[in-house]
Amino acid sequence: MRSGSKAMRSISAGPVLVAVIVCAVVVTTLVRIEDQKLLVVELAAIVIATLLAMKFGIADKVETSARHHPWIGRASIIVATLAVLSVLREDTFGLLMLATVLLYVTTCIGVTIQMGYAGLTNFSAAAFVGTGAYTAALLDARHLLPDPLILLSGGLVAVAIGSLLLLPVLRTRGHYAALITLAFGVMFNVFLDASDSLGGPQGLKVGGINLLGWDFSNDLHLFGYEFSFYVNYVLLASVVASLAMVLAAILDKSWIGIWLDAVRLDETTSAVFGLNIGRWKILAFTIGNFLAGISGAIYAKMAGFIAPNNFTLSDSLIIVSIVILGGIGNRWGVPPAALIVILLPEKLQFIQEYRLLLYAALVIGILVARPGGFLERRTRRFDLATT
Amino acid sequence: MMRVERKRTAHAIGCAGVISSALLLAGGASAKDTVKIAFVTPLTGALSPHGIGGRNSAETAVKVMNADPNTKYNYELVVLDDECKPNVAVQVVTKIAADRSIVAAVPHYCSTAAIATVEIFHRFKLPMVVWAAVLPDITYAQKFPEIHRVSGTLIGQNRVGAKFMKEQGYKTFVSFADSTDYGKSMNKYFTQFTQENGNNILGTFSVPPDQQDVSAELTKIKELNPQVIYFGGLTPLGARVRTQMDKLSIKAQFEGNSGVMGEAFINAVGPQLAEGALAFLDSPPLNKMPGGKMFMDAYKAAGYKEDPEVYGPFAYAATRLVMETIEKVGPDRAKITDALGNVKDAQSILGPITFDDHGQNITPLTTKYVVQDGKWVVWEDSEYASGNRKLVNLP
Amino acid sequence: MSTLAQHLLNGLMQGTIYGIVAMGFTIFFGVMNVIKFSHGDVLALGAFGSLSAVLSLQPLGLPPALQLLAAFAAAILLSGAIGALIARTLIMPLREAPPLNMLLMTMMVGTVLREGIRLFYPGGTNPQRYPELLPHGGFSVANVFVRYDGLILVFAGIASIALVHWVITRTRLGLAIRAVAEDSEVAQTMGIDFAKIIPVTFALGSLTAGFAGVLFGLYYSEINYGMGLLLAIIGFSAAIVGGLGNIWGAILGGYLFAGLQTLVVAAIPSLSDYKNVVAFVVVIMLMTWRPTGLLGEGESARV
Repeated sequence: MRSGSKAMRSISAGPVLVAVIVCAVVVTTLVRIEDQKLLVVELAAIVIATLLAMKFGIADKVETSARHHPWIGRASIIVATLAVLSVLREDTFGLLMLATVLLYVTTCIGVTIQMGYAGLTNFSAAAFVGTGAYTAALLDARHLLPDPLILLSGGLVAVAIGSLLLLPVLRTRGHYAALITLAFGVMFNVFLDASDSLGGPQGLKVGGINLLGWDFSNDLHLFGYEFSFYVNYVLLASVVASLAMVLAAILDKSWIGIWLDAVRLDETTSAVFGLNIGRWKILAFTIGNFLAGISGAIYAKMAGFIAPNNFTLSDSLIIVSIVILGGIGNRWGVPPAALIVILLPEKLQFIQEYRLLLYAALVIGILVARPGGFLERRTRRFDLATT
Repeated sequence: MMRVERKRTAHAIGCAGVISSALLLAGGASAKDTVKIAFVTPLTGALSPHGIGGRNSAETAVKVMNADPNTKYNYELVVLDDECKPNVAVQVVTKIAADRSIVAAVPHYCSTAAIATVEIFHRFKLPMVVWAAVLPDITYAQKFPEIHRVSGTLIGQNRVGAKFMKEQGYKTFVSFADSTDYGKSMNKYFTQFTQENGNNILGTFSVPPDQQDVSAELTKIKELNPQVIYFGGLTPLGARVRTQMDKLSIKAQFEGNSGVMGEAFINAVGPQLAEGALAFLDSPPLNKMPGGKMFMDAYKAAGYKEDPEVYGPFAYAATRLVMETIEKVGPDRAKITDALGNVKDAQSILGPITFDDHGQNITPLTTKYVVQDGKWVVWEDSEYASGNRKLVNLP
Repeated sequence: MSTLAQHLLNGLMQGTIYGIVAMGFTIFFGVMNVIKFSHGDVLALGAFGSLSAVLSLQPLGLPPALQLLAAFAAAILLSGAIGALIARTLIMPLREAPPLNMLLMTMMVGTVLREGIRLFYPGGTNPQRYPELLPHGGFSVANVFVRYDGLILVFAGIASIALVHWVITRTRLGLAIRAVAEDSEVAQTMGIDFAKIIPVTFALGSLTAGFAGVLFGLYYSEINYGMGLLLAIIGFSAAIVGGLGNIWGAILGGYLFAGLQTLVVAAIPSLSDYKNVVAFVVVIMLMTWRPTGLLGEGESARV
């Protein structure tokens, strides 16, 4: 297969730039607007615009443009992020929400790798986030390690705990594997609640982050403007989420991604062709848990407080919902889905009470009508050299 | 997960301001600025009867204040739900603390929620007056100028309770508390005072507050055969313990604490099972409070169907105190914090309020209660005190 | 020793309820290869339905026996109907979908039911008091206290299991169900109406859940909107440990789980909340050792 012909009309970078700008504006306005009616109007506009975009192939144009100008795309995302942060610099709670969304994105990318790439059912994602969080809380209390290592440990401990499940997960298929992660999640929660040394139902307080001397709990003063201290956390979470996306991209576009696909689509055939199924499943499971653990550690330090109630089965189900809504296996579907699932209920107060009910109904709808999710995963294209 | 609040936009406040000033101009008064106070309470979940009673009482205080034409400001109560869960409380309090338009807060029925949010109030310098949570650490574990409380700490009720039980003639006890900081603190002071009175604690049990089945613990307790089972926790768990005690046919006197005081407990176990249960509350009974009748009248006039519950008067008093402070020093967080630090003999429906150097109200006295015919009755007024009825396990 | 016996008695009731729930899971799996995770929440729905029925009848001052009848009737009808509805509208149309989707969907359906109860039942977020309709008290035998209502409930539970077993093995309906479970295509060619049998099977399994919900309420005198979730996970575990598709396995699994819980609780009564931790760990270990359950399906796909 030859690489794409060079004798083509040049693809402009315009579409991707416009797309990034539109997204930045959307995110900023969603966070800033308080008026319920205005919000509903904006949401309706977004839905209509998205549907139109999909119908008229605008999404494809954006994608092609992004593919041909990867560095412009990435640079524009970075600039847009900084711009959004500047606009939101004093909105403390808005920044906290954004940071939370970004942490969910990280976890959900991890789960995408587990479920979307390798086909492993994981109903205990929240338990791994919780593992990272509690690790951070305990290490922090004893001042054993500097913060960067604490965050890393959150991920590593999650991997270690996850390795306990490796054998059961590998030996079982389908429903049985689902049950194992389910039982583990519930068990983890009960264990946290019952164990006094981990704070029990009262939970634990956690210190803030101090990265190489830069204390995250200080407000920033830049160019004469004041930035709420949560900006630090948003920046950190953005970096981590971006790294997660990049990691997922690398996995997906590499040999490993192809093998994971094979394992997911048909285990028996893959085994017949000599693939070591176990190894690839372990890899996916481990990476996913690592991401979940790190995001848990950051969350614990940002919120300053964690309790078993933060990491229940419902939270695992929300994570799975995000992954499915965005399009299972499509990493680009995760950020918008996370934004919808996490940010909206905060803003649309009249649905706050009903949010679990609405998500569940939404997911049922998706599973019935469009099982691929909003942004379905594209079939792998083997003819593109520039991916 | 993040939680509910009712907030109006600047737009709506502007409208309200215009409308109210138009109305007031008709009466010849000038327009008042609106000041926002937050009220944090468990509106959903098992503690909601207490939470809703508190909210209604606080809203009553605001209504009464706003009906007074001579006040400088118009008050708006922003009510938030902490679900009696520490992590939800943290999120909700972070939200109000970061919101500059909210100048003061009246938080928390649940001690577990309060102990988790104390630092947030301090960090964002939002002054607050706790209306119900009784855990001593909330005011005493640190000295933050923002933290105050009108309700008593659980030390007083346990001290009075232990002495009372000794006087009644009880000798053997088992302590059953929940595993939160609240339950642990209850157990600590109960144990300390009971032993000081020379009595014997046969065993101590601790379970998470939403554990469903306590038959395992109760079976063990049945084996220990105490005269009294002391319960240190909140109504939902207390109701379960009482109900399952009966199912296992355990004959012991149920000694409760302020956490089980209220209509909710009697409704949960039924008047028959509730009969004879004891509890101790750091407050004069409603009919002996200086403002008790006025409060109940105002509450009823405001049209609320739900019972204000035992801490309703405290919610009223705390909210009223905050508003009166704002009247004196204006809607500025720092000024309010300073003023609250100097509260001495402030008049309230509960009686005089004085905050000590940790912001703790030092005046409430402890009243002993017993359930009689489906109602909590002051001990001295009850048929148990007069000898017509007997508590369990007494000769 | 008598304390152990007391613990065992407490555990017997749990085991019966788990067994009933597990039986439902196993029947659904057998007949449609589906794990209907909303089963626990259907149980909760039945329990709440029965509570409404009893509460609305209470002002009439009917004798407890009649109220009891109304409670069971309401629960059975409600649960059975909802179970059949879910089968007809959601499960049957999606039966070709990957198993993960089906599992997820039934979990979400369960969430919808649970949140529905929480939001739309008056005071749904609080635990609700369940009236005492069974005789009070009990008797003591060798220092072990046996509750009358406990005895009645255990017998009722076992009777319901036996009844379902009888229906499945001794009636024509049961025969049809087993045929469809065995091989749905051949069953259809033999003239069994697939579209009718499936909802009926789900109705059967679900109405036992409703029944169990009432048992639960009568035993603890309390129900809450989240009661179904943990029961579903335990019931699912029990069904799996016993081997999906095997009714006796499900029941065995239920009692096994309760037995594990009882052991933990008897050993360290002051830390009884760990019982679920230990029980789940054992379940996970059992599944690692025997991936298709103790009395398993015997399927093998090793390469």
